[in-house]
Amino acid sequence: MNKKRGLGFYLKIYFKIIGQDIKSKMSYRSDFIISTLGMILTNVAGFVSFWIMFRNFPSINGWGYYEMLFLYGFSLIAITPVQCLFDNNWSLRMFVYSGDFIKYYFRPINLFFYFQSEVFDVKGLGQLAFGIGTLVYAWGKLGLAVNAVVLIKLILFLITASLFMIALQNAAAAACFWMENSYFILELAFKFKDYAKYPITIFNAVFKFIFTFMIPIAFIAYYPSMIILRPDEVGLLSLLSPVIGLIFFYGSYKLWMLGASRYNGTGS
Amino acid sequence: MENVIEIKGLTKEFKVLNRHEGIKGSFKDLFSRDYKIVKAVDDISMNVGQGEIVGYLGPNGAGKSTTIKMMTGVLEPSSGELIVNGRVPYKERKKNCEDIGVVFGQRSQLWWALPLVESFKLLKDIYQIPDKDYKDMLDIYGTMVDLDMLLHKPVRQMSLGQRTLSDILAAFLHNPKIVFLDEPTIGLDVSMKSKIRELILELNKKKNTTVILTTHDMGDVDALCRRIVIIDKGKKLYDNDIQHLRGFFGSYRTLKIRPKEEIKLAADELEKELKDLDIKVSISDDNEWINLLVNEDKIKVLDVLSKVQSLHDIRDMQLEEISTEEVIKKIYEGGI
Repeated sequence: MNKKRGLGFYLKIYFKIIGQDIKSKMSYRSDFIISTLGMILTNVAGFVSFWIMFRNFPSINGWGYYEMLFLYGFSLIAITPVQCLFDNNWSLRMFVYSGDFIKYYFRPINLFFYFQSEVFDVKGLGQLAFGIGTLVYAWGKLGLAVNAVVLIKLILFLITASLFMIALQNAAAAACFWMENSYFILELAFKFKDYAKYPITIFNAVFKFIFTFMIPIAFIAYYPSMIILRPDEVGLLSLLSPVIGLIFFYGSYKLWMLGASRYNGTGS
Repeated sequence: MENVIEIKGLTKEFKVLNRHEGIKGSFKDLFSRDYKIVKAVDDISMNVGQGEIVGYLGPNGAGKSTTIKMMTGVLEPSSGELIVNGRVPYKERKKNCEDIGVVFGQRSQLWWALPLVESFKLLKDIYQIPDKDYKDMLDIYGTMVDLDMLLHKPVRQMSLGQRTLSDILAAFLHNPKIVFLDEPTIGLDVSMKSKIRELILELNKKKNTTVILTTHDMGDVDALCRRIVIIDKGKKLYDNDIQHLRGFFGSYRTLKIRPKEEIKLAADELEKELKDLDIKVSISDDNEWINLLVNEDKIKVLDVLSKVQSLHDIRDMQLEEISTEEVIKKIYEGGI
């Protein structure tokens, strides 16, 4: 029997597994409510500190309040996919450590896919709503154009930005295949995303280089959003960011899979 | 009989750091390149035919799990040949998984929060099982276990026995050619154990599924396996049918004695008294009996009994054939 497993197959399986995960999450009701509440509070706190800062400094390096707000909203939306769809990366370390990771090898489907498909974090959706709200508000205040081309660009570059965040997290999570105490790496990668909401021009040359080419957080908001925010100043890196994003994502996927192929499992 | 597994000279080596003791030692380890090579599996060859149930036995750390991990495509062999269903598992892991089922240790592979039936439906999609085959399989399951009770229970609410049962059913669901069972009855009560053995045996008969079973429970071996393979320290020690193995030790009997005196004391005395006769003295697990392992080629059991009787007051006695467990213990200790 010839069994083909193409994109259609994976999408179908994905929605089924995710659907089941959401169903089961809802069954732990108080857990669900509390974590949603926590997410909202985290976002509100983040926003308030952002607002306080900008009351004192009306602009940073030529970046105005609403432009910064735009970046902020953009980055919130861009990190939603990694939070919703790749949340299982946070547990990878424990799976590997306990030996439970071995179960992912026994199904005739892609290992990375199977692992990531198991968890869908609903909390990320609250953040998405918050990000969209912020972006739309800043958009209106900046008086940016709204038309089909701009919207398509926006979506394309939001996806690009997400790819960088996903790549960053994949690579950080994969560290656990090589080292036992890799949690801090994942934490660090996640902390770095906080810098994503600032325009790269406010950093000095060294950090500019690091945040562009090594830990590419400048791609999580700055480079892609330039396309919409300041169309006249768009540089090569902004234009190329979708391609660079794909490369980073693919690289992180390969690294993750390389780690998985090194996995020995524990005795049982 | 067609071979579903062909193994020739299979070896798996691990690089292990030579660790030093103490804080100073662990600091040294940080920079140490002082590795030693450990052979977890060492030059194993065997073929397994379609429909066989093979008991794959060995003490902890013998290399059983490592072999199974290679056969399931998790690990890449260091050297040697390994063909499963005509494929090299490590190179074609996904394809290999179509034709195998795995129950590994006590780690459930089912979706924890879901009722079993939802897990089954997901598996049906993942393995692309045709509707008819799926229905037929559930019908067969229905005749073997109380399926309705299991199907609608979330896996996390199941007892260990129910979960193991469910995991085994899930492993057979896509009608694989080979099913690997790694200690399927560990931690289960007696009735659940026999239930699971029956289930495995029945599925093996109905579907002609090859079963590779690792276990420490000789009850599993006696109930299921016609052929056993024993490995220790990565090397294959024995590969033959179970009768043949018993034949090796056919001349051994276990004489069980319940003395009037304190059991520990009596055992110690007996050990001294029977020292010249090549008899192994031990106390049974329930602390009720003294077991005397007698080689009848050397001395008759009745002679031993009369000797013991002349020295001790005996309340009760039993004579037993040697159990498979003892045979294997004997092999571990270098008996053959």
